[in-house]
Amino acid sequence: MADKAGYKKPKKVNYKKQKQLNRSKAGNGMLFFLMFICGIFMALPLVMIVNNALKPLDEIFQYPPRVFVKNPTMENFSDLFVLMNDSWVPFSRYILNTLIITVSGTVGHVIVASFAAYPLAKHNFPGKKIVFSLVVLSMMFSYNVTQIPNYMIVTWLGMNNTYLALILPAWQYGMGLYLMKQFMEQIPNSLLESARLDGASEFRTFWTMVMPNVKPAWLTLAIFQFQQMWAQTGNQFLRSEELKPLQYSLQQITAGGTARAGAAAAVSFIIAAIPIIFFLICQSNVIETMTTSGMKD
Amino acid sequence: MSGGKKKKGMSLTGKRAVVGLLFISPWIVGFLAFYVRSFIMTIQFALSEVTVNAGVGGYTLKFNGLENFIYEFTKHPRFPQTLVTSLQDILIDVPLIVFFSLFMALLLNKKFPGRTLVRAIFFIPVIMNADAIVSAIEMARSAMMGGVSATSAAIAESSGSGVNMDYYLALFKELALPDSLLDYVVGAIGRINDIISASGVQIVIFIAALQSIPSSLYEVAKIEGATGYETFWKVTFPMVLPHIITNIVYTVVDSFTSSQIVEMAYDTAYKDQMWGLSSAMSFTTTVIVCLILGVVCGLIQKRTFYYN
Repeated sequence: MADKAGYKKPKKVNYKKQKQLNRSKAGNGMLFFLMFICGIFMALPLVMIVNNALKPLDEIFQYPPRVFVKNPTMENFSDLFVLMNDSWVPFSRYILNTLIITVSGTVGHVIVASFAAYPLAKHNFPGKKIVFSLVVLSMMFSYNVTQIPNYMIVTWLGMNNTYLALILPAWQYGMGLYLMKQFMEQIPNSLLESARLDGASEFRTFWTMVMPNVKPAWLTLAIFQFQQMWAQTGNQFLRSEELKPLQYSLQQITAGGTARAGAAAAVSFIIAAIPIIFFLICQSNVIETMTTSGMKD
Repeated sequence: MSGGKKKKGMSLTGKRAVVGLLFISPWIVGFLAFYVRSFIMTIQFALSEVTVNAGVGGYTLKFNGLENFIYEFTKHPRFPQTLVTSLQDILIDVPLIVFFSLFMALLLNKKFPGRTLVRAIFFIPVIMNADAIVSAIEMARSAMMGGVSATSAAIAESSGSGVNMDYYLALFKELALPDSLLDYVVGAIGRINDIISASGVQIVIFIAALQSIPSSLYEVAKIEGATGYETFWKVTFPMVLPHIITNIVYTVVDSFTSSQIVEMAYDTAYKDQMWGLSSAMSFTTTVIVCLILGVVCGLIQKRTFYYN
């Protein structure tokens, strides 16, 4: 009896040791410490922006600068609205413009990119390789360098000074297509085959099988496309004041110099806050999909 | 499908090809409209002498063959050197950014309270990168009294932290570590902030990739008694590999479009008014970067595992 117990014990200890090797508390602690340090550096600009928005003017100009606000006030926001009431176009118009550009740019891009990525990942057709290399090539085209041709094309299509000049080119960004294609390639063919055997049309297969399975991918794509569209100033295409986005108004206020530092801080806060909220909503929905549940190969 | 009767003579693969083309057509239409023309125009500019017609508007092109390309490589004072430096920078940054973001994504993929918030923190640099916000922060900084610039210059001058870097570098050289490795490490440490702030999007892509790994694979690994190390190399890594390619592509594009060489092409066009030369520059660099990307991705793609 005693011997048997003696044999059993080392096995148990081994097992436990192995478990500890995988997940030691100290190791986890170290990792989180590291993450914490990196995180502080990342978060600092945001903390600055939030605090600056709440600082009264004398604190904004204080030197040496202080990160945290001492006497928080909403003065900057009321300043902003006073300033904006005097301006040519009401402030809400800038917000509306940005929303139109961002939402349609994001939704359109996600849909067009997913549609295009599906055949690139799962179909064979002539010219597939050429199309794919064009995608990669198009990403390389630095925006700065192609400014002039871009402007000429937009004018030629008669879209100058409309929202379309910003929205439509955004639908064809190469990066989203590339991302979606990489994710769709991982869906097992047999899954799609079973849908087709059950008589689903290609469109239905795409909509009910492919898209739900790559949900993390398109949510991620939405996050960074949203950010890209949100950051558009539209300086080169939009000339009418009532079409200009929020970012442009921030630039104008910033250009106003020291006197408008408070209002600029308030707008910066608004501009930074919305993408973060959008990020939080999308990111909390990025959860595991069930690609292979029920697969037996 | 709707067109079924018409295409009766078609094989199944042929039908699928048509459907595929249908799906991709919205993208192709937009691509033709917005990008192909600008690509052709860039090549056109690169092969000719561009003169802007002052007063009248518009421009005239005079074909001059490969002259712009010959000029940029043989006569331009800085182009070849800048090209090499930019490529070097990209080659240093890309592996660091990709591995850092993979590591971060693995950490952020664990379950802990406030996970989404922490993820958001790592995305902040991307949001803060918008032109308007950068200039606003810049203004807030410069608004803080005129003395600031003088002070910071003084700080920069006297910032001897007590550690003599050259001494340690000499020590490592004594150990016969190759110079290039030392340069790499020193360069990497110097850029650590840039690297962290450039990995926002990559981290998010990796998180999505990790979330798409079916949990049944981990279950199997656990039942078979794989250690965490084995699970990572046999399950996580192969499943994430295609997205490592995505991230390499994204990182290369990202660091390329903000590199010195692109800035130089921009300056050549808008400051020196040499449109043809500028187009030639951007065409050359684009082709070179695409070639590098093609080779790297080809190598990784070969080792990639797909379900089918």
